Amino acid sequence: MIRMFHVYKNYPHKIQALRDINIHIKKGEFVFLIGPTGAGKSTFLKLIYRGIVPTKGQVIVDGINIARLKPGYIPYLRRNIGIVFQDFKLLYDRTVYENISFGLKAIGATNYEIRQQVKKVLNLVGLEHKRKTKPHLLSGGEQQKLCIARAIANEPLILLTDEPTGNLDPYNSWEIMKLLFHINIRGTTVVMASHDKLMVDKAKKRVLRVERGRIIEDTQRGIY
Amino acid sequence: MVFENTGFYFREALLSFRRSTLMSIAAILSATTILLIVGVFLLISINLNLFLENLESQLEIVVYLEDNISKAELSTLSNNFNSIDGIKEVKFVSKEEAYQRLSKDLGEQKDILSAIETNPLPASFEVQIKDPKVIEQIANQITEFKKVEEVEYGREIAEKLLNFTYIFRSAGILVLALLVFASILIISNIIKITVYTRRNEIEIMSLVGATSWFVKWPFIIEGFLQGFISSLLSTVILYYFYFFAITKVHQAIPFLPLVVDNVDLLPVGIIIVLLGSLVGILGSMFSVGKYLNV
Repeated sequence: MIRMFHVYKNYPHKIQALRDINIHIKKGEFVFLIGPTGAGKSTFLKLIYRGIVPTKGQVIVDGINIARLKPGYIPYLRRNIGIVFQDFKLLYDRTVYENISFGLKAIGATNYEIRQQVKKVLNLVGLEHKRKTKPHLLSGGEQQKLCIARAIANEPLILLTDEPTGNLDPYNSWEIMKLLFHINIRGTTVVMASHDKLMVDKAKKRVLRVERGRIIEDTQRGIY
Repeated sequence: MVFENTGFYFREALLSFRRSTLMSIAAILSATTILLIVGVFLLISINLNLFLENLESQLEIVVYLEDNISKAELSTLSNNFNSIDGIKEVKFVSKEEAYQRLSKDLGEQKDILSAIETNPLPASFEVQIKDPKVIEQIANQITEFKKVEEVEYGREIAEKLLNFTYIFRSAGILVLALLVFASILIISNIIKITVYTRRNEIEIMSLVGATSWFVKWPFIIEGFLQGFISSLLSTVILYYFYFFAITKVHQAIPFLPLVVDNVDLLPVGIIIVLLGSLVGILGSMFSVGKYLNV
């Protein structure tokens, strides 16, 4: 599903964010991306959804070489990728329902499909009763669930999550984790950047440890 | 895709108007002010142009005739004028008419004329021309005709006037271009600010896989509406302000020619509406483009 061959990413002022990354993430896998702040985790995720292009090397996502992808095709790549951010990136002047329907409308879903799909994902994350609420009235955990609901509404092949439990208490964190496992079991490949030792250790999934731009450890059923 | 989602784009544009009412009103008022300045300049320009055209149309050639001209020669000469391109109107002034005009012009001093026994004034043709630029050329042609004693057209005045109108018109175009350029910069910057406040929305849309046109359309419609409303507002204000102003000017300087016909004023309205709408559309298109590259 995701392959990287000798990938380097440099930022201005000679900052080497990633160095010689070689990785293969198979369809349906659940992968933790761990490491200290500034290790290159977010850069790794950005490469997958083509927020950036590699300085050197190849990134193949679902058979597409993202470096060669013309700008006009980027939206179509992203329709197969759900993204959940630590800072939520919700639209606070729209309701829970609208936050999800907005994204579906953007990819050309019909009104009927939108109604069905929003209902389905809101049920899945347990926010159906708050469909008319504005996000600022939701708790942190609920806002993160809404982000996940938005990210999976169009049933993407890949779900990228950047520190989704970073701002949450252990109870809510575990709730989010359970939700992500559930989504993973249904066939979605999940890549989760995390600092959360407790969650990583409890999950016993594949762990990629990134340090100073390199992957220094890749273990199945790893711990933090 | 465009037509499928037209309703959605319009709803989004209107929703955005409602969500950020204050911002939209501020944007519209600022754009209205800029367009008003452009409009005032355009109105001054068309009136000055009318004034200059009026001056130019008063340029005429006076053709003095020899005293011994016969009736047959007079009619040949009159026909000759018709063969010259660029002549608008030819008026014959007989010796008697010239004498009467002079005595009228002299007013109370007309007694001077009684000292002269015979009428010394020559008969003449007053020739009005279509384009003042060719006045010299036509005057030269007329000089060649038989029985023409002298041709007069106020050469120096004509040249000065033509030079002045040329400079004035060129300067007007330059100032107008600068004003339009300034208004484009200012309006597109206002739009940039409104787009900036919604950069999160643009980023999110782009991340969920919306095509760039899908993101742009609501902003383009919003930009168009802002520009269009601003231009309509400024046109209406200008219209009432203008008729109020020309009434005052007319009272002060009654003989000054002024543009009062709605048909002649229409281009000013059209220019302002086009300028406002186009800048609204293009400004939002480019501003959104800036935040799309995530």
